[in-house]
Amino acid sequence: MLTTDDWDLATTLMEPIIATQDLKKVFRLGKVDVPALRGVDLIVQEGEFLAVVGPSGCGKSTLLHILGGLTNPTSGHVLVDGNDFITMNDSDRTRFRRHKIGFVFQRFNLLPTLTARQNIAIAQHIQGNGFNPHRFDAVVEMLGIGGKLNHKPFALSGGEQQRVAIARAVICEPKILLADEPTGNLDTENSQIVLNMLRALNRSFRQTILMITHNPEAAAVADRVVRMRDGRIVSD
Amino acid sequence: MVNKMVLQNILHRPVRTAVSILAVAIEVGMVMLVVGLTTGLLHESAKRVEGVGADVLVQPPGASFFFGLTQAPMPVKIADRLAEIPRVGGVAPALFQFNSTGGLNLIYGIDMESFNRVTGGFVYHSGGPFEQPYDMLVDDWYAKANHIKVGQTLNFLNHSFRVVGIVEHGKGARLFIPLKTAQEMSGALDKASIFFVKCTDPGYTDQVITAIHQLLPRYQILSVKEYMSLMSSNNLPAMQAFLTVMIAVAVVIGFLVIFLSMYTTITERTREIGILKSLGASKTYIIEAILREAGLLAVVGVLAGIAGTWFARKVILASFPTLSVDLTIEWAARAALLAMVGSLIGAFYPALRAAQLDPVDALSYE
Repeated sequence: MLTTDDWDLATTLMEPIIATQDLKKVFRLGKVDVPALRGVDLIVQEGEFLAVVGPSGCGKSTLLHILGGLTNPTSGHVLVDGNDFITMNDSDRTRFRRHKIGFVFQRFNLLPTLTARQNIAIAQHIQGNGFNPHRFDAVVEMLGIGGKLNHKPFALSGGEQQRVAIARAVICEPKILLADEPTGNLDTENSQIVLNMLRALNRSFRQTILMITHNPEAAAVADRVVRMRDGRIVSD
Repeated sequence: MVNKMVLQNILHRPVRTAVSILAVAIEVGMVMLVVGLTTGLLHESAKRVEGVGADVLVQPPGASFFFGLTQAPMPVKIADRLAEIPRVGGVAPALFQFNSTGGLNLIYGIDMESFNRVTGGFVYHSGGPFEQPYDMLVDDWYAKANHIKVGQTLNFLNHSFRVVGIVEHGKGARLFIPLKTAQEMSGALDKASIFFVKCTDPGYTDQVITAIHQLLPRYQILSVKEYMSLMSSNNLPAMQAFLTVMIAVAVVIGFLVIFLSMYTTITERTREIGILKSLGASKTYIIEAILREAGLLAVVGVLAGIAGTWFARKVILASFPTLSVDLTIEWAARAALLAMVGSLIGAFYPALRAAQLDPVDALSYE
């Protein structure tokens, strides 16, 4: 566990993009408290590609949700790009997420009524900086989805949907890309394609990536692998 | 971008979209038609009274200016005293009979000679004036609507009447019987419900009214112009209440359907709302998107409702020629406003609920 001195040193001198100290999250189910995170200490530097592995229910997704500002921790410290989530309200975290975080989900989570192009563009629209055609073209070319832009999600394969989801996640140049089992619904070939793209994003643009996975082969693509069990990091 | 998303969402569920639009259209149509029929009935009725050609209407104390609501007879001999007033060119007594069998009909019992003096006489499409006590004149619209021809027998007020003439519409009532017959039928011998007074020149109307007031101080005396202005639903409390209730029912229907439609939409799209939240969409963004969707449904519903109402009016007039439906731009605008506001209020709670969804729960929604 990080001491207060370690924490101060880490957050002031190293300026990590993600820093958590004794991070805890307890869910209340009926009258029972269920701890999901039992004190997570984690430091991630900008440009790192980090894989978080562990069995189901170990708290990986909860950690990712907290780092993405989707939910509040119960206690502890969490600094993301210098912002202390503990002191931020829901609106502040939403605004932060809009500008600094990109999500990639296992189930792709594309809006089913929109085309691939619209699914990507809506992220820019929500961010409020307007449509940036240069960035759009660059991302689309890198992910190789130029020929699929006018297709709706149901007309795309799983691999194509995930590539569109990655494009949507990075179109606004987020500080951190949070990927929740990005290859969980893909076959081996498409998994490899998606992992290669994440790797390329990390290498080419120094994109910070935090990826949750069950798959050891996927984890192997990352620079660093963190193992979780029972709501704690057990190896780093 | 939000508009594209809203449009795609609407197109994605065509049946729900159609039902929502239909509900708003019915709301608009209901408001416009109920108001149109009510005001149409009043205006048409008022125009027919104006068409008698009198300048002044004399009714007994406490009588309603809505003729069908009261018989209120007064001695018919008053007509002679009214005729003696300077500047009075003619006085026509009439006794109202209200028939409610097989439809609602106001029948004028008239003295043909005096009525012709005030009105200038009927224009006969076929047949001629009364010859027997149980003869009846029918106006052309009523005859057309009920396929009535001269010589036909009609049953009104438990009596059989022979149609002796089809006359041009627009002179008070649609059905006319002899005054004496009307008096005998109602047990109001030598009585009349109204006197139609014609001045020698319309410019003398005020003078004549003043003179009648002196002669009949407690009687209800109105110029026809004044009567025309009174014939609106605002002056008929029961009708105003009826209109208010009908409009409220229409608005509630529209509100509930939009509420239900948007509520099920939100439930169905919980995951999509979670996706938007994960992208950083604010509560305002989500509320705005849902309200825009409801607004678009309402706009299309309003346009469909207005177009449908004009079509319904044609169908109503073709099917029931004696009815009148007054459709006005003013009421179309009011109905549109009611529908828009009702729809947006109906969508507001679902929108608020969507905005307050927990993003993690929403993303895991199956």
